[in-house]
Amino acid sequence: MKKNLLLNIYLLALVIIYAGCTKQLDTKPTSSIDSRDALKTSDDVLGALKGTYADLGSYSFYGGDIFVESELLADDGDINWSGTYQDLTQIYDKNIPVTNGFVASNWEQAYRIINEANVILDSINIVVEANRDEAAAEAKFIRGCVYFDLVRLFAKAWNDGSPSSNLGVPLILKSTDPTKDLTASAKVSRNTVAEVYTQVIQDLSDAEQDIADYNGFYANKAAAAGMLARVYLQKGDYANAASAANRSITYALDNGFHLESSYSNAFPFVDPPAAVKNSSEDLFTMQVTPTSGINDFQTYYSAYGRGDIQINDQHLELYNPSDDRLNMFYESGGSIYTGKFDNIYGNVHIMRLAEQYLIRAEANFRMHTAVGARPVNDINLIRERVGLDDYTSADLTLDEILAERKLELAFEGFALGDLKRTETNLTGLPWNSPKLILPIPKREIQVNSNLVQNEGY
Amino acid sequence: MRSILLVFCTLIACVTYGQKTISGKVTDAKDAQPLAGVSIKAKGANTTAITNTDGSYTIRVADGVKFLVFSYVGYQDKEEAITGNTLDVSLSVAEQSLNDVVVVGYGTRIARDVTGSVAKVGAKEITNTPATSFESAMQGRAAGVQVSQQNGKVGQAINIRIRGASSVSAGNEPLYVVDGIPITGGNNGDNSSNGASTNALADLNMNDIESIQILKDASSAAIYGSQGSNGVVLITTKKGRAGTSKIDFGYYTGLQYASGKREFLNGKQWVDYFERAGKGAADLEYAYGYYNTKEEAEADWKDYVESRFDRYSAGTDAWKEGKTVTDWQDEAFQRAPISQYDLNISGGTDKTKYYMSGQYLDQTGILIANGYKRYSARINVDQQINNWLSGGMNLSFARSNNKRVSNDDQFSTPLQMVALSPVTPVIDPRTGLTSGALDPASGSPNTNYPVYYNPLLSVENGFYHTLVNRTVGNVYLNASLAKGLVFRSEFGMDQLNQVEEEYQGRLTARNTGVPDGYGANFNTEILAFNTNNFFNYKKTFGSNDIDAVLGMAFQSREYQFADAKAEEYPSDAYKKLSGGASKTGAYSYATSNTLLSYFARVNYKLKDKYLLALSGRIDGSSRFGADNKYGFFPAVSAGWILTEEKFLSGVKWLNFLKLRASYGLTGNDNIPDFASRGLYTSAAYGGQAGQVPQQLSNPNLKWETTAGTDIGLQGEVFNNILSFDIAYYKRDTRDLLLNVDVPSTTGYTSKFENVGKLYNKGIEVTLTSTNINTKNLRWTTTLNFAYNKNKITYLAGQLLGDDVNKAKEGEPLGVFYTREYAGVDPQTGDALYYKNTIVDGKLDRSTTNDYNEAQDVVVGDPNPHYIYGFENAVTFKGFELDVLLQGVAGNKIYNGGGQYMSAEGSNGFDNQTTDQLGYWDKPGDKTMVPEPRLFYPNGTDPSSRYLSDGSYLRVKEVSLAYTVPKAVFGKLKVDRLRLYVRAQNLFTITKYKGWDPEVNADYQASNINLGQDFYSAPQFKTFVIGVNLGL
Repeated sequence: MKKNLLLNIYLLALVIIYAGCTKQLDTKPTSSIDSRDALKTSDDVLGALKGTYADLGSYSFYGGDIFVESELLADDGDINWSGTYQDLTQIYDKNIPVTNGFVASNWEQAYRIINEANVILDSINIVVEANRDEAAAEAKFIRGCVYFDLVRLFAKAWNDGSPSSNLGVPLILKSTDPTKDLTASAKVSRNTVAEVYTQVIQDLSDAEQDIADYNGFYANKAAAAGMLARVYLQKGDYANAASAANRSITYALDNGFHLESSYSNAFPFVDPPAAVKNSSEDLFTMQVTPTSGINDFQTYYSAYGRGDIQINDQHLELYNPSDDRLNMFYESGGSIYTGKFDNIYGNVHIMRLAEQYLIRAEANFRMHTAVGARPVNDINLIRERVGLDDYTSADLTLDEILAERKLELAFEGFALGDLKRTETNLTGLPWNSPKLILPIPKREIQVNSNLVQNEGY
Repeated sequence: MRSILLVFCTLIACVTYGQKTISGKVTDAKDAQPLAGVSIKAKGANTTAITNTDGSYTIRVADGVKFLVFSYVGYQDKEEAITGNTLDVSLSVAEQSLNDVVVVGYGTRIARDVTGSVAKVGAKEITNTPATSFESAMQGRAAGVQVSQQNGKVGQAINIRIRGASSVSAGNEPLYVVDGIPITGGNNGDNSSNGASTNALADLNMNDIESIQILKDASSAAIYGSQGSNGVVLITTKKGRAGTSKIDFGYYTGLQYASGKREFLNGKQWVDYFERAGKGAADLEYAYGYYNTKEEAEADWKDYVESRFDRYSAGTDAWKEGKTVTDWQDEAFQRAPISQYDLNISGGTDKTKYYMSGQYLDQTGILIANGYKRYSARINVDQQINNWLSGGMNLSFARSNNKRVSNDDQFSTPLQMVALSPVTPVIDPRTGLTSGALDPASGSPNTNYPVYYNPLLSVENGFYHTLVNRTVGNVYLNASLAKGLVFRSEFGMDQLNQVEEEYQGRLTARNTGVPDGYGANFNTEILAFNTNNFFNYKKTFGSNDIDAVLGMAFQSREYQFADAKAEEYPSDAYKKLSGGASKTGAYSYATSNTLLSYFARVNYKLKDKYLLALSGRIDGSSRFGADNKYGFFPAVSAGWILTEEKFLSGVKWLNFLKLRASYGLTGNDNIPDFASRGLYTSAAYGGQAGQVPQQLSNPNLKWETTAGTDIGLQGEVFNNILSFDIAYYKRDTRDLLLNVDVPSTTGYTSKFENVGKLYNKGIEVTLTSTNINTKNLRWTTTLNFAYNKNKITYLAGQLLGDDVNKAKEGEPLGVFYTREYAGVDPQTGDALYYKNTIVDGKLDRSTTNDYNEAQDVVVGDPNPHYIYGFENAVTFKGFELDVLLQGVAGNKIYNGGGQYMSAEGSNGFDNQTTDQLGYWDKPGDKTMVPEPRLFYPNGTDPSSRYLSDGSYLRVKEVSLAYTVPKAVFGKLKVDRLRLYVRAQNLFTITKYKGWDPEVNADYQASNINLGQDFYSAPQFKTFVIGVNLGL
């Protein structure tokens, strides 16, 4: 009888276990969450906006790589690359295979950010009214910025032939529904350069209108107008460039931004490395802390990082010996490095107020206008800070403005864009050479036959 | 239930009625020594007995019992008729494997009746292999089982492919089952946080293993359903033997060496080479117009190059002497002793059996700073509770500490030292410290001397320790419900707790980018729970035999991970996270999965010659989409023992011949736990919390299915001198679980889908011959050989893979698909590639120096086409000699480090392999090595230039043992004393010029990335001496 009883109890226990097990097949993710549960409240969408900033600041985009690549690709002997990343060596050598991994990451990351911005815009009605316009403006700011850098890197320059027929990059303005099948809809084609610029200007103008005047370390009005100024300058639309730069400066000054008293204050270095606040001239940065964000300028430029990029005499010789900016350079182990990016947890400078003065000066000078200020005043503002003598209005030339711009913004990621808009040839390569345009990554063409490869690849 | 009880009571009644007593002694037929622990069973009754240490036994049986059956592990069973009150018996060692018990899923079969393809590796082959994990002992021992260790770092991943790889994106490792319970290992065995896989199977003490059975064909593996596609490795641990009480002590010790070295430039060669590379760059820049005259360019570059020589000679011009100051490769290796201590106690009575063991392994790695220590213990107990119920427990515990080195891709991994200059001293004379420790000028960590970060700094100033506590155990109950009907219930638990602790001191700053110390802790806990509950029914009626299984199983696996990181330590004396002023990371992650299964199997045998097996399993997995949670995996197999037929009874030379065939479906669910869902994940920005989309959903995601066919012929001939097993198989995998590339303009880069098909087909041959078998001398030879062809037939036109290895339609998995190198232009010294473009429907075989102008083509296959093992075992009196050769053929290896170590100075001053000395020097030179041009790539983009033949034949094991005759001990209570010397990987015949042809760079190894060498450590060459003492 004992056996009988034991077995019955046992079998009963098993039946209970069976029933329990069937339910156990419904496991739930805990570290990530189901996309259907992700965007239910206003805070969810605002959280997604913060996530978009985080991805904007990833190493392959505003975390620094696209700027480092711009400097390497446009370099004509100012710097020396001795790093071991073959992908960057290829860019420095202006001989980029379509399989270049950094280029593929730039593209993938750009569209990841664009999709995230589109998610915000598509879910904008979930956001409470008080925050709705601001959230939309910031999403458009981010989208505009990303498309601008994408079209500059992966397509012919605005001034290279016909922008209305030259191929730009695909314009995606709707988010991807993660629950739908993609196969057909995902095979997009490239829009023209002009179409992309139009969208960029639209997004940034919308952003400028609705975005907050002051917004902590998130995008603000000065940054939105400033980015517009950058776009117009790239297009050679100097009237709009001067106007936008002037608005940016006005917003900035009205909201407590100003040029730092010394050049080195704009690039704060703390020892030991630690997260630092934006400087008063940072209109827009990507935030870096020991736990989030990355400063890839530091990785490659700093002797405290990999120290892969050394500064050549050719560059140092461009400075007046009394130029305070020379003090940013230092020697380590027999090579010269720039000290602009030495703090591994320093924020990535995306836009400094100094740039806006330089844009306003150049655009006004070219237009013979004085929107906001006379060009000579803007240039002297930059020069006085670094201990250089003033120019007089009479003898200020465009070359001097461009030279000032080059030194003030050195290595900050402007080299390629400036080279193209000023049509400056490299030794052995014309400014509009296809080799100075990144290839559409091979992987993208493999999965989307509608994408046309750039000339020369 | 009442009827069962009734039957049982009747049975007991039968037994107690009218008894007789029989006693006797059981001895070994060979040497007449008594055999202890032989089990004696009354035929047709339920009575058993066990022999004592002197071989004697006594059994009381019912009057009606006519025969006693004597059985003893490793010996042939013997059935003897009862003639009186005494019965002495001698047993012979089982010469043939046909009566071996083969463990299959949820049961056992005897080898003769197996209708699937099952390989077996026994304790004899596994025990005392001087290696970290038991898989090493399987290498070369089973046909169709490819074992390859990624590199020579201790405790790291060993990859096993059974009959080829069946999946592109899901796991390809087999399922590991220990004493009936699936354990963490194989596809989920890597819990490393340093970028190189570890091996959870290393927590098992290989000396506890009684046998390993490898279920290779679909019909055998189908009883494991969705986990069976890659084959199943069933591990059975040792049990105590009734009537004995044994103490065994084992010890071995020895030394390990690198199995091979690569040759690098010496001091003079290095100086000359880079002078020439500087000239190459100068000439190029002159041609570009950077200089007015060639002389000016060359002088400028010479200055530059020599200033760097000064720098790398610790700021002196000592390089001018052309001496090799340091052979950095030698610095990467260390003297590497290995020792292992074993103690086990086993024995039992007819009611209780026990096996207890303890082991300590102390293995120093061949790479500097690498080492592994493991303590382990096991207790296996089986208890006959009463006449219908038995139960038991198998429990093992292990604690290991792996002192790890960085993955192959890191500057800090020891073998990347080979890139340093031969003119650079180990100790910088300016500071008296390790070169690179401090900048002599500033006292700060050095960023440009030596040429790279010196890995010795990590050895001296950092560590990465992986501590694992592992408990694997199960309890079972076995209930005889009625004659032939047994119910078995098993509960198993596998708990793995791992702590990885890392500290990198101040002097490692050039590598970590963190100036004042970096520390990290990574905690992993895996709890796997499993229960199997099944009925087994066996019945013989007339000439029919039935063996049926019906049951259910449930598995759950919970994985938890957390890490924390800190920086800013007051000094390198503080190494715990509490010492770091700045906490830079805190992260936790958890995931889980469950599997619910129902299974059934019927084996039917007719007239001892016709065999049939049917099985089916239904699996429900939490991993799949709501619409496709359940899968059904049926199998059928049949066998025909031809030698039982009359028409073969006259063929005297043919002792046994069986034809078998099987077909079955198996599944693969080795994808991330939440692969079918659309996911969002958290993201932080500037100290504020955010979220981002992470993954596209696919609610239709379903099982990857493999349909396997197996046809085999097994036989023994010439009075069992030669036995053979020949099998042909084809495994078709469909609905591949692919991480499919999607256009990244969607904001996503991939999505899990069921797309694609591939197949494996091949032939396996195992031959065993007993060449000499006399009283004193015995010589056996075993050859196993396998040919496998792997081909992806459909991938929806995709090309998958991030490196030169690709998954490509029409090609084997991981095929090398890149530019075809065409050598060097004799006029210019430029590297050339075959264009391989299609022009007007024709292949353009002209060459170009423009890499982008050439097309990728298939240039080689990383998968061996043939794998084989060849073993000879000779015993002469007390001596045993065992020699195992093992090899692979037909595969290629890609040297991913070639772009740095064989690279024309394009990457700077990396030391170069000596084969680069044959470079193009002047117009007219015909060579395959392009002109060196410092910092200017010339032939270093991925191409077939860096591809080599990876075939090898290795003397895997040579062991010589001597068992001291018992007579020597006289009255000493020594049961057995065995002394041995053993060598692993004694030497290797290969054309591969790298460190070792058994290689796959640890940081990138994947289903697709195969046959990659990237500064990967060579395998161990090991010599040990050992002793086994039995009391």
